[in-house]
Amino acid sequence: MSLACEAVAFSYEEAREKLTALRDVTFSVPAGGSLALLGASGAGKSTLLQVVKGLDEVESGAVLLDGLAPGHSGYALARRQTGLVFQSAELQLFAASAREDVAFGPRRLGWDEARVAEAVDEALDLVGLPPALFAERHPYALSGGERRRLALAGVLAMKPRLLLLDEPFVSLDPRTRQDLVMVLERLRASGVTVVLATHDIDLAWALCDEHLVLERGEVAAAGAWDFGPSGGLLAGGRLREPFLVQLWRRLGRDAASAPRTVAAAAEALA
Amino acid sequence: MRAAIAQYYPGTSVIHRLDPRAKFVAVSALGVALFVRTSFLALGLYAAAALVAYLLSGVPAVWFWRAFRPLLWLVGLTFVFQVLFAPGEAFFSLGPIHLSWQGIQTAAYLTLRLVVLVLAGSVLTLTTPPIALTDGLAWLGRPLRRLKVPTDELALMVTIALRFIPTLLVELETIMRAQRARGADFSSGGLLTRARALVPVLVPLFVLSFRRADDLAMAMEARCYRPGVVRTRLHPLRARAADALLLALTAGVIVAGTLL
Repeated sequence: MSLACEAVAFSYEEAREKLTALRDVTFSVPAGGSLALLGASGAGKSTLLQVVKGLDEVESGAVLLDGLAPGHSGYALARRQTGLVFQSAELQLFAASAREDVAFGPRRLGWDEARVAEAVDEALDLVGLPPALFAERHPYALSGGERRRLALAGVLAMKPRLLLLDEPFVSLDPRTRQDLVMVLERLRASGVTVVLATHDIDLAWALCDEHLVLERGEVAAAGAWDFGPSGGLLAGGRLREPFLVQLWRRLGRDAASAPRTVAAAAEALA
Repeated sequence: MRAAIAQYYPGTSVIHRLDPRAKFVAVSALGVALFVRTSFLALGLYAAAALVAYLLSGVPAVWFWRAFRPLLWLVGLTFVFQVLFAPGEAFFSLGPIHLSWQGIQTAAYLTLRLVVLVLAGSVLTLTTPPIALTDGLAWLGRPLRRLKVPTDELALMVTIALRFIPTLLVELETIMRAQRARGADFSSGGLLTRARALVPVLVPLFVLSFRRADDLAMAMEARCYRPGVVRTRLHPLRARAADALLLALTAGVIVAGTLL
């Protein structure tokens, strides 16, 4: 599902003042594409994801899903097919078993039990928690990384065509992180559009076709990755270049054609 | 989402700068005086005192209105009941309903009394940070320690509870949003349906709270907190001349009110 934001603005109403969180945010992601959402803490990444999901209404501007504008008859469905995985989603598990927790979303979609069961098993398999081993376990009896993946399964079971991820890699050990990367690669291969908000620039570079840098609620850079001739373009977002890009620069090669993965780099250097 | 619990309006007015203990004693004394037999004139005097405190506090009227709003039905009900059912010489009767001047007077009296009490109480809570208020109460409760009442520990518990209300509200909001993102609906259906929709919210909230409580206890121990030991404060409460003046004025007003 394609996503486009057109001059989206949003502000939080605090007791005495209005805090502008997003201003004139315009970008688009094609269906099946992937976008890295970057920016310093407090730049508006989480807010943008929640606005796209529809948890907050835009103040002005519009979020187009599948090219549809709000108010269109197909828009509600598109919104239901947009999945949002919150930051630290493992803290939001509540059911007495992994199966029940993952089934929460599909049941809210009004699916019959057979379809729910199928979706739950599929989602658990997808995130690497085989139902035979994990479905009946209590969520709080799982490890931190397993819980994070279980929370992801809870969203994937709703069969999203657009997946919004808010800092999914935070506080995961390297191995679990790698498992999660593989899950995301599988999802991408199946045609799911992904928007990934993260501080991990190396993973963002490896996983995402395009990038969007937010700076105090405004778009500082958007579209195809562009580090500029000196790599200074990301500085405003309190970012750095991915290590592979830095390596390519040190080697005197074209930063724009830097490899995305270590494997690709090894191949290029061999 | 901002709850009205323990609302405090930051400021630097005379009233803000008063010692929380003095403010608490003054408001309590006024409250007691209001409910001891009081003449209309005395009530007027107390109302004037509360009004002066309100004006000096510099807190916008809207904030007081917020404190009044939930009590409005209580005030209204008191008034209506007193007007309709208070004994007195009726000038108008219809079935069990009797309107009398005395009834109207009693109603006005009781209503005004409630309003003055809420106004004075609001001045106290709006101009005193909850934690300062707790500290003040702990100090005032010190004599109870002789009776083995752990006043300092109780005060610390209240302080921690107050401190975490906003934190828990933020967490509650996040969890509800996460469930809404998964299709939960908290705003439609009957009472039972809505109550049931809250279970998925409360479970993680409790788990988080217990974990947070554990962490906090550990962190406090790591920083040498021990119950039962006298603690010193970063900002010790210090009574000034203004506080003595407040108490003297309050005493004067109450004595005058009792004599009127």
